[in-house]
Amino acid sequence: MGSFLGRSVILLVGLFTLPTLFGDFWAYQLGLYFLYSIAALGIGICWGQAGFLPLGQAMFLGIGAYLSGFSLIHFHDSAWLFLLLPSAAIAPGLLAFFFGLLIFRGRVESGPYFALITLALSLLTFQVATSWVEVTGGFNGLGGIPGLPGIAGFKALYYVIATVLTISVCGVAWLVKSPIGVIWRGIAENEPRLTFFGYDTPLLKALAFGISGLLGGIAGVFYAPHQGLVTPNLAGFILSAELLIWTAVGGRKTLMGPVIGAILVGSLTAELRDVVPVWELMIAGLFICVVLFMPKGIAGWPEQLFRRIFSHSRQEEKVTLAARGILTAPKLELSGCSLSLGSVGILDNLSFQIDEPGIYCLIGPNGAGKTSTFNAITGAVYIQSGTIQLDGERMSGLLPNNVALRGLGRKFQVPSIFPNLTIAENLLVAVWGGRCSLKDLFSYKPLNWSSTIITDLREKFPFLNQDENSANELSHGEKQVLELAMSLLGEPRLLLLDEPCAGLSPEETEKVIETVHWVRSTFDTTIMVIEHDMALVKDIADQVIVMHQGQVLTIGSVQDVQKDIRVKEVYVGVSI
Amino acid sequence: MLNRNKTSRRQILKAALGGAALSVAPGLLKYAKGAASDFKIGLFIPLSGPAALFGPSAKNCGELAIDVVNKSGGVLGRQAKLYIADAGVPPAEAAKSAMRLMLSEKVDLMVGNHDSAVRQAIVGAVKGKVPYVYSPVYEGGECSPNVFMLGETPQQQLKPTIPYFAKTKGVKNYYLIGNDYVWPRITNKLAKQYISAAGGNVVGEQYIPFGPANKFESAVTRIKSAKPDLVVITLVGGDNVNFNRTFAEFGLHKNITRVASLLEENTLMGIGAASSSNLYSSMAYFANIDSTENKAFVSSYKAKFGAKAAVLNTLAESNYAGITFGSALVNKAGSTNASKLAATAEGFTINTPTGSVTMRNRHTDKNMFLAECMGTQFSVAKVFNNVASGQTCT
Amino acid sequence: MDPIALTIALNVVYEVTTLFVIVLGLAIVFGLLRVMNLAHGEFIMIGAYSAYFCQDQGWPYITAIPFALIIAAVVGYLIEFTLIRHLYKRPFDTLLVTWGLSILLRELIELVYGKGFQSLSNPIPGSVNILGEPYPSYRALVMVIAVVSAIVLWAWYRRSLTGARVKAMVENTELAQAVGIRVDRLARHTFVVGTCFGALAGVMLAPLTRVEPFMGLDYILTSFFVLVVGGIGTLLGLTAGAGVIGGVQSVVANLFGETSGYFGVLLIAILFLWLKPNGLVSRS
Repeated sequence: MGSFLGRSVILLVGLFTLPTLFGDFWAYQLGLYFLYSIAALGIGICWGQAGFLPLGQAMFLGIGAYLSGFSLIHFHDSAWLFLLLPSAAIAPGLLAFFFGLLIFRGRVESGPYFALITLALSLLTFQVATSWVEVTGGFNGLGGIPGLPGIAGFKALYYVIATVLTISVCGVAWLVKSPIGVIWRGIAENEPRLTFFGYDTPLLKALAFGISGLLGGIAGVFYAPHQGLVTPNLAGFILSAELLIWTAVGGRKTLMGPVIGAILVGSLTAELRDVVPVWELMIAGLFICVVLFMPKGIAGWPEQLFRRIFSHSRQEEKVTLAARGILTAPKLELSGCSLSLGSVGILDNLSFQIDEPGIYCLIGPNGAGKTSTFNAITGAVYIQSGTIQLDGERMSGLLPNNVALRGLGRKFQVPSIFPNLTIAENLLVAVWGGRCSLKDLFSYKPLNWSSTIITDLREKFPFLNQDENSANELSHGEKQVLELAMSLLGEPRLLLLDEPCAGLSPEETEKVIETVHWVRSTFDTTIMVIEHDMALVKDIADQVIVMHQGQVLTIGSVQDVQKDIRVKEVYVGVSI
Repeated sequence: MLNRNKTSRRQILKAALGGAALSVAPGLLKYAKGAASDFKIGLFIPLSGPAALFGPSAKNCGELAIDVVNKSGGVLGRQAKLYIADAGVPPAEAAKSAMRLMLSEKVDLMVGNHDSAVRQAIVGAVKGKVPYVYSPVYEGGECSPNVFMLGETPQQQLKPTIPYFAKTKGVKNYYLIGNDYVWPRITNKLAKQYISAAGGNVVGEQYIPFGPANKFESAVTRIKSAKPDLVVITLVGGDNVNFNRTFAEFGLHKNITRVASLLEENTLMGIGAASSSNLYSSMAYFANIDSTENKAFVSSYKAKFGAKAAVLNTLAESNYAGITFGSALVNKAGSTNASKLAATAEGFTINTPTGSVTMRNRHTDKNMFLAECMGTQFSVAKVFNNVASGQTCT
Repeated sequence: MDPIALTIALNVVYEVTTLFVIVLGLAIVFGLLRVMNLAHGEFIMIGAYSAYFCQDQGWPYITAIPFALIIAAVVGYLIEFTLIRHLYKRPFDTLLVTWGLSILLRELIELVYGKGFQSLSNPIPGSVNILGEPYPSYRALVMVIAVVSAIVLWAWYRRSLTGARVKAMVENTELAQAVGIRVDRLARHTFVVGTCFGALAGVMLAPLTRVEPFMGLDYILTSFFVLVVGGIGTLLGLTAGAGVIGGVQSVVANLFGETSGYFGVLLIAILFLWLKPNGLVSRS
């Protein structure tokens, strides 16, 4: 932590020397672009970290600036400013948070629709600012805004703004490094998977959006006294577009990228736009190249350097969480579940019960509805009739993260992990789900968590020790195992495994089966496994559930099922 | 990570180079500063945005004015040099340009030809540190120190005009339409006073947003349903063109007269002969005004820029007036000191292409012209002599 | 019929039909290829500037059509070949790249023509009498052309072999390829058709509006709203969207003023984006 502060002081001192080096005009110009870069940091969080694209970031700048300008005009020299100015920054943040909640809870994927909504909102803000002449001054804007109390002129204000920029960069650096940053990056890669670990991803995305709104608001609060004039263009589309381009060219995935982009590209554009006629053309071309080939932007290479400046050393104590031990056995009951997509029936009056711990293998020909059953149980799809109950409590209709929090774990057929996160981060994400409160996510402590389960799994599968390696460097088999490990870390009472051995070599398969047995015996977990390989089924199954055409055909021990003529008929051509 | 040391050294080098480049860049940007002994005049003209069609002629007049000033000895014994900035950008951007002109280029005088939003932004940024001559037609009311207004005010444009229409055309019902910002709104406020003084009624009032490419079918339809005798237009640039064309295409020009407060030669050419009958313009300058001063002005303009140059109009001419007026004022006051200039300005008279103008209360009293559109030419129907600006600035 | 009501009704029809024409190119590219072409407005701009060029040269206005089509086809082909073709599966990146392209195209035009706007003279000035009331002739012609092209396009898409191929490509790309349809070429041609329609809209609208480098922005935003409200992928959706957005804009503007019209459109767009993002006519 000390080194963190120390390095920010270096940045601050560096910024302070710039006016003496470059003169009055640059003190004015840079002050302005520092503010834009604070707003750009917000885009970096939403787009670079959490993976959704805010096309209307300027709207928060505008709102903060109007609120600040209004307060300074009507309350200057009053103590009320100590309350009003921070509120002017917080208000856009709150607005963004609530909008984010509304929008993200409505749809699961962010996608381009979110981008369009933010664009429309920014246009709306611009229009309101232009039309509400009595309050905002209309198209001419709010003019004659006095400076901050006690700070006369843009030169003094420069130092204040440089300080605010440094603080903002530190804040964002903190967020990026802390658990919530890891989760945001996970959302960008594979949001649905996160919900199955118990994360309320709409809330986390709304938080990111809210923080970006706060950053925009902070920039706006200082914009008003710096410029003395706030016009509707500050909230409009063109500035939003410019902020986006600066962030992209600077490097959206890096910490300092948005800052460098806004300051360098922004101020150079302002200078060279009239001198070099093709300048804007070049920037547009550069933008296209960056989007296509260099998501790290021009800050990509110096980023390593800055990360050194702002990273904190992880030499701290690892906290190993003990496993929760034997868990209460779940009672799963499906009755009369039906689901169809258009005219295609998927589940047809599906009913079965699981009362006792054990390993239940779900088998059946292709299209029988096995994965769909898992989807229905975990909340990935909603059944159209019937009920699913866990321990007497109704589960059908719950969101996947709420289902997961009740003690369900799931492993997908195609390994579903976070390829660009490290192996350690993949495991941590799984450990945190269900254990971390929202507050915990903002502290650095969970970064040092481990679990006895991880320790045990690392002995079985040594590749899990390669903490710093990126997960997409793993082979297919290793990814399967990683996902299996992750599904165990939540310590589920009911574990759903969808073809856990698909694509594994015989040696790998043996190890996985061994692990399944180990989980069963150590934690008394109830496990449901979808499998096609009857040899495996014979090895692990306590009970077999045979499905056909969306229904349960029969349930019984392996021997019973093998003798059943109906099962043979269903599997025509496959020897049992 | 394997090559940690090598990579970091390379990156430090890159960062250092980048830092060096960044520190040199501003130095490189100190281009075209000109000799320190020049008298630097910053000129704001609309090169982009809704009023961009006035840009080329304004630029020409600016350059012509600099020639005239330098031929008669420059300002304070120094050669005048022009620095042009785009005033068609959003007001906040214009303010930044003003800051650049003031702090970086260090201009001695600013002359501006743009809308009031930009003016307020520039005045707010400059804060009177550099004298500022605001030359075009505007709504009045600017009294900031060290700012001098040359343009037509609503009092000058409409106070004599409305009674003229009431008398000669028997106009009773008026419709007011303008862009949605301060100039049209204040103009219309004063227009209403003159209308009721002339015994007329306002049957409708409409404001068109300033910025998007507007369509006028609905605006024209609303005017059609209000059935006015005269439409008072305070639209600007492209909106002025499109509105008038749409108006005529819907057939309204046959029975309804129009008078515009910012209709000059370029706009009229855009409107076209098919849409310009029964259309009047009330301004302080038209390129074809028949006076010796104007004829000399027009021929020197054509001599410098050719017969096919951008058409002269009141806004461009105001640029010319702005620079010549500003230079003359500074020369008479003997310095750019704000109080000296203010003292000299009151009662200061100079000759312009349309006759002499006198500065009172930092605004100018001048001759006004009401012209009717004949095809794409103006034909002066009435001259109002030495109309007071109606402004008071203590 | 009350002359004012008639004029308002004609204005609404005009608004809806021109909106149809404006959005058509984007409906093709976004609806069929799922490419969020943020440069669509710039193709309209290219069409408008082509028309300006032709008029400036003194050629009859009708020459603007082939001229604009050629330019739009060439530019569209280049763009699809170099950039878009790699991005069909990456909607975010197409959004950003096409946006960068829109800036690029805008800057190119600015370099050639400057930032100021150009005014085209009306190729058919004057008015026609519709049910006793004068209505601008050129606007009436635009309406007629828009309606006729909509009908022709609809009939062609339903009946022709190419239409069937395009439908196959959209429904199930792999299967279409398996059946021998050259999907990459078909996609390229579809994209070019989309850009050409954009340019055609520009040629039609150039005499009625300001022709300037930034004109594309308004069109692109409204176009997306039309598609969101109407639903993408079908001509019926496009018509519905144009009807709702154009109708709301026009009626509100005629009654309350342009600003209110604009507000109305924005609010409807936001509501649809939030609550019914698949639009009125969703393709399932």
